[in-house]
Amino acid sequence: MKRKHIQHLYWRIGFGILPNDLDALSKKSKKEVVNNLFKASKQVTNLEVDTTEIKAVFGSMMSGSKMDKTVRQKIKKLSREKQIELNVSWINRLSQSQEILREKMTLFWANHFVCEDNNIVYIQKFNNTLREHALGNFGTFVKAISKEAAMTKYLNTKQNRKQKPNENFARELMELFTLGVGNYTENDIKESAKAFTGYSHNLKGEFVFRKRVHHEGNKTFFGKTGHFKGDDIIDIILEQKQCATYICGKIYRYFVNDTIDPDHVNAMVDVFYKDYDIEKLMRYVFMSDWFYNDKHIGTKIKSPIELLVGMNTMVPTQFKNNKQLLYLQKLMGQILLNPPNVAGWKGGKNWIDSNIIVLRLKLPSLLLNDAYISKTEKGQKDTRMMHKKEQFKKQFGKRFKTESSWSYFKDHFKNVELNDMPNHLLACEISEHAKPYLNALEKVSKREYCVQLMSLPEYQMC
Amino acid sequence: MNRRKFLKQSSLASSLFFVPDFVRAFEDMASSRLGYKRLVIVQLSGGNDGLNTVIPFRNDLYYKERPTIGIKKADIIKINEEVGLHARLAPLKRLYDNGNLTIINNVGYPNPNRSHFRSMDIWQTATDSDKFSQSGWIGRYLDHYGKKPYSAIEIDESLSLAMKGEHLNAIATQDAKSLYNLSKEPYFKNIHKHQNDVHLNEHNLGYLYKSMIAAESSAKYIYETSKTVSTTKEYPNNKFGKQLKTTAQFINSGLQTKVFYSSLGGFDTHFSQIGRQERLLGMYAKGIETFVQDLKDNNTFKDTLILTFSEFGRRVKQNGSAGTDHGTANNVFIIGEQLKKQGLYNKMANLSDLDDNGDLKFEIDFRTIYATVLDKWLEVNDKKILNKSFNQLHFI
Repeated sequence: MKRKHIQHLYWRIGFGILPNDLDALSKKSKKEVVNNLFKASKQVTNLEVDTTEIKAVFGSMMSGSKMDKTVRQKIKKLSREKQIELNVSWINRLSQSQEILREKMTLFWANHFVCEDNNIVYIQKFNNTLREHALGNFGTFVKAISKEAAMTKYLNTKQNRKQKPNENFARELMELFTLGVGNYTENDIKESAKAFTGYSHNLKGEFVFRKRVHHEGNKTFFGKTGHFKGDDIIDIILEQKQCATYICGKIYRYFVNDTIDPDHVNAMVDVFYKDYDIEKLMRYVFMSDWFYNDKHIGTKIKSPIELLVGMNTMVPTQFKNNKQLLYLQKLMGQILLNPPNVAGWKGGKNWIDSNIIVLRLKLPSLLLNDAYISKTEKGQKDTRMMHKKEQFKKQFGKRFKTESSWSYFKDHFKNVELNDMPNHLLACEISEHAKPYLNALEKVSKREYCVQLMSLPEYQMC
Repeated sequence: MNRRKFLKQSSLASSLFFVPDFVRAFEDMASSRLGYKRLVIVQLSGGNDGLNTVIPFRNDLYYKERPTIGIKKADIIKINEEVGLHARLAPLKRLYDNGNLTIINNVGYPNPNRSHFRSMDIWQTATDSDKFSQSGWIGRYLDHYGKKPYSAIEIDESLSLAMKGEHLNAIATQDAKSLYNLSKEPYFKNIHKHQNDVHLNEHNLGYLYKSMIAAESSAKYIYETSKTVSTTKEYPNNKFGKQLKTTAQFINSGLQTKVFYSSLGGFDTHFSQIGRQERLLGMYAKGIETFVQDLKDNNTFKDTLILTFSEFGRRVKQNGSAGTDHGTANNVFIIGEQLKKQGLYNKMANLSDLDDNGDLKFEIDFRTIYATVLDKWLEVNDKKILNKSFNQLHFI
């Protein structure tokens, strides 16, 4: 398989690829490379932080003792800390996992089935449900999501009762999760909301169906009438070809190109509508020739997480203070587990505005190189480097305490020629105007050159 | 070229190419003499329940449809025999008494959409509800009349669709200093030194370069201008209060910015509405009162107009969770010193004539408000920006 195509594939299904891995794969065929991806993602490794302490508090509550104010505050505080821990372990997972396709898909689904909950046990369970079904059957997936404790809380299915329906979940199910806005009527929402009455959960976060508050009567939905339950509604939705079209369109925009090519999406729909098998669909996409078309390569804007994890893939970096990593996500507009609203992050150009672009350009030097970008002209020595780095550490060292493993980078780039480095670090060509300036600079070292390349707008692309 | 054809073309092309220089010079002079007018937009995100904000307390239907979440007569700040404000809007009542507040009732648009995101996009792009647009109404104002990206500033981490034009985007910043510090890096300057704006196309990488160039030139100006003043006013200690404080600082320092955008979220009250809305309305009203006072102290209030909206109102009938579901028409607040029609602009919505969904039927298209603000306040051609002609209202 062509190196350029492997790199493209790995940017879209992961966060880039190291030179030696690229070498190894370049000897294989496309079929082998794609097969390996799916094979590596066969198993599911749950993401878990230690929640025994919180569960113990819950346990004592179940045995009947009342939850007083101090206990409630303790749970809140613990849960907040654990949320940060889960956020950080998720980012570490993305940087290190062998099940990279599954993890990237999980990230995609987390921005499709958007949910947020301050209870760590529920949100962790939700997150692992995304992981479990990420490459599975879409119908089973939607049904599982509709029964997640965090989701019944987030979209108020819990409060949805016979005689007193709450439409929130029913609306978002169709608008955002399955059909897309405009592909159903207001009446479909009202009727299907009745079918989802009675959904709830117990303290552990397991699904509970409360028959007493379920609306047993007839519902008319997409022209069908019956004593529908929630799962029946989802089955009827899946019968609509629009559902396959909507999901394929979203996958295309995430994995292929911001702009949809109707021919390609229609071909995807033909594969997906048959049985809603996500793995089959993804395999079809990665095996098709059009996926590797030049017009797709290096033309997407990285999400903040893709930017961060991508840097991490080349130069592993640890934050000394987890809160700083969270703050950084906030500044860039994407905090994992904390979506802006139920529609999730819009992505594409929406990641960028004047404020964020300067931060994103500064980020590689900030995190990896004490904020230093070498500007030494050709033929000269960089005499300011050490001094500048020291100065930064003194002034801002506390605000960005990171430790980068440059030795890891050196090992992996050992056999890479200097003039081949852009090919490994950048997904697109360097623009006409940046090239002469970059060429006019001295290549002080591979490390300094790496920071220079990562500080280009071109590095923001994947 | 005959006269008719000339007029047709000149209205299509940018005015800059056709209007003779002396006319423009005159316009500049006129506007500087008349004061530098600014618009501050406040977005209440999530769909504020307008019926529990401006309350028809004489209407039995209101209490019938809202047995538990209807606001009790005793808790309402009455502004006339039929209409009152939510108790937490006491600061707004003081503005009302001073003649600084106009309430426009029953504002919406044809074929309402009850999705937050879609309806917010409709409000922000000012397009018909069945049309999609990639540019916002303030963004298009920038395209035609804004000289610089900082002609419009959103006081937030990122930019709303309202602030994105076809060619020019507004600036988003919460903190002028850190933006300036970040953009100073000489490496970036050299990278784009030879970039010609005209050659940067609309694809993603071109967009990145454009944003980078706009950021650098604006950051310096915003920081150096705004640092000359600071406020002594105590703003409420929350995100919205901070946004307003920064806005006041920008305005009072004489920043050449025509439009400011801020927002307050959390109004999606599907359950336990009472306490949540109370808290948010309190934040809103207290923040606004401090802001107005700050501007008054600096003699800038007379040239500032504040427009508050939400993407939709909520259903008349409460739901089963002591909350309300997504609805349609809502009220819009206009705050300023030069209001022509103060107080209630029009009658309250008719609660006995609802649509099939049990929602209000709108009376005033929100775009007539935009058109009025563009034409009468910002003194620009509203048709060019809204791509359509709307009847104007008479509140300014």
